[in-house]
Amino acid sequence: MTPLFEARDLCKNYGGIKALSLPSFFMGKGELVVLAGRNGSGKSTLLRLLAFLEKPSSGTLRYYGNATEPRKEITLLLQDAYLLKETVMHNVTLGLRLRGEKHGLLQRFTDAMQAVGFSDPMAMADRPQYKLSGGEKQRVALAARIILKPSVLLLDEPTAHVDADSEKTILSSIAHILASGTSVVCATHDAGLFSSFSARTVWLKTAP
Amino acid sequence: MGYFSDGFQNAVGLLLHMDDATTSAISATLTSTGCALLIALTLGLPVGFLLGYTQFPGKRFCRLISDTLLAFPTVLIGLIVYVFITHRGPLGQYGLLFTIPGMVIGQAILALPIVISWTAQAVENLDSRCRETLLTLGASPVQVALLCIKEIRYDLGMVCVTAFGRVVTEVGVAMMLGGNIRYSTRTMTTAISLETSKGEFAQGIALGLVLLLIAFVINLLMAWFRRKGRLA
Amino acid sequence: MNMLGKSFLGIMLSLSCAVSVQAADTLMMATTTSTQDSGLLEFLNPIFKADTGIDLKWVAVGTGKALEIAKNCDADVLLVHAPAVEKKFVEDGFGIDRRQIMYNDFVIVGPKGDPAKIAGKSTADALKAIYDTKSGFVSRGDKSGTHNAELKLWKASSLTPDKESFYISAGQGMMATLAIAAEKGAYALTDRGTWIKFDNKQGNANPLKIVVEGDTALFNQYSVITTNPKVCPNVKTDLAAKFEDWWVAPETQKKISEYTLEGKQLFFPNAGK
Repeated sequence: MTPLFEARDLCKNYGGIKALSLPSFFMGKGELVVLAGRNGSGKSTLLRLLAFLEKPSSGTLRYYGNATEPRKEITLLLQDAYLLKETVMHNVTLGLRLRGEKHGLLQRFTDAMQAVGFSDPMAMADRPQYKLSGGEKQRVALAARIILKPSVLLLDEPTAHVDADSEKTILSSIAHILASGTSVVCATHDAGLFSSFSARTVWLKTAP
Repeated sequence: MGYFSDGFQNAVGLLLHMDDATTSAISATLTSTGCALLIALTLGLPVGFLLGYTQFPGKRFCRLISDTLLAFPTVLIGLIVYVFITHRGPLGQYGLLFTIPGMVIGQAILALPIVISWTAQAVENLDSRCRETLLTLGASPVQVALLCIKEIRYDLGMVCVTAFGRVVTEVGVAMMLGGNIRYSTRTMTTAISLETSKGEFAQGIALGLVLLLIAFVINLLMAWFRRKGRLA
Repeated sequence: MNMLGKSFLGIMLSLSCAVSVQAADTLMMATTTSTQDSGLLEFLNPIFKADTGIDLKWVAVGTGKALEIAKNCDADVLLVHAPAVEKKFVEDGFGIDRRQIMYNDFVIVGPKGDPAKIAGKSTADALKAIYDTKSGFVSRGDKSGTHNAELKLWKASSLTPDKESFYISAGQGMMATLAIAAEKGAYALTDRGTWIKFDNKQGNANPLKIVVEGDTALFNQYSVITTNPKVCPNVKTDLAAKFEDWWVAPETQKKISEYTLEGKQLFFPNAGK
């Protein structure tokens, strides 16, 4: 069986400074991989490579055996997520509309919002992004990825700046999306976060 | 001296009972400024956007040139355009000197670097996460560019208002290229300059207060754009 | 969309302006600031329009600039007051049909205390006294007709005050020059029209007064000139001819003498004399 991701001798430099050095990395479909390591160990860099936002400086990265960019199948939630200066509804359905989908947006919006713990999605729909708290922003941004039903969801410190309640909600959303067959890669400095999950932990030790 | 109290009374009078000369000056001001702004925005917004959005060799040098042109003295713009559009100049056949279109050319040139530089600045100030977020949501390059423009819409509003304010309060270009012709190219600022040279200080101050009122409205708009840009 | 609509309207407006400037019955005149600032042109313009049907537009600048504008073919006609320069302008082939139409006069004004003691003297003696006592003198310094007249007067007295520290070259209009003279307690040469307005505005607080007047050397001749159509083919010669004929017509000449400022006659018609 072809692995989901297959990387060899992956290296990424920014202006001569080594940001990532990874001899090999494999991942199967439906897996949860936790990227652990100190600040600067290359967690975010690896996620950006896996999202095909950037090309490696050297080495190979294949997705289902291909080196091309599966832009529509992989999505990344940045640390400290960014929302457009629009309403919640606009932000959550943006990816679907970018794909030209026009039908059933409302239903999918409601499902995605409930999946990240908003019990009354319609009450949130017209709220502008600047009226959301940090935890709400992160959950709305997660909903904007879940709604796409991606093959791979990449998460960069999804619980870094949120309160305990939001953290719980986000973790249960991740469990939910794993159950639906999506593969998840999550970078975190807190390796214990996923103790109740069946996860594989990859330790990054890039020395700058 | 009483110039200010007289001027204030005159200003109120001018605003309440607009005479022909005042309405004509206001309409000449708004027409020329409006046209100049339209031209500057049409040319400047795309150029400014590309300058801020794309990476190419020499980009920083281009930004430097455009920022330097921000400080271009208005009388020098006036002089250069004058030389081009006088009947003896290369564009003389069109008879543009001492007409509103003649003024519009100078004012558009004045506004262009403002539009380009500020637009480029707005694009550069846009959070880098915005572009990456759009990419990770599956946007094509064209979609990313369009959504980025939409994301800085309030900054672009600010660019328009700033350029408008610069052109509307400018006197050098309007005087040299328009010629301060009554009922034709006399604008608010050239009228003030004339009233001062005639010693009609109160009348000049009155017109100045009308101009200040316009500036006030401009600043209200700016404050609104700034607020929207920060919060929304 | 609304904003686009408005901008479109603006373009249309400005284009229509451009067209109206090009319209056949519009005459472009370059003139001096004194004819505009004294209010004479605003007084005569409606009469001119009624008599000839011509729409007269003017730019008011110093005489030197006015002649430059005509040299560049940007004006059809001139109304200026620097006879020597005008004659050279015509001799050099830039203008035709120069006609004298009226004069006003200059006066020398100075501080009420008259530090150079020039009251009642002839112009030449007065300037010499100012020069000798190093009393302040403010010059227009802008190549205007008034400035030219002043330079001629200094030359007639064989004096060159240019580099002297008492000689202030303002580079501004007449009213601004008088304001500087008042602030600095200096003398100045001014046309009577601007002086009357200045005096009227200052009222009792005016620190200046007329010290020399009535000398024939102070008479200030105004003429009209048409830009030479051989040099500038765009000149509207037929309208320009009507313009020139109108100024020397007896009715117009009478109107000129009827124009007053604060009850005082400013311009004295002398066409054909």
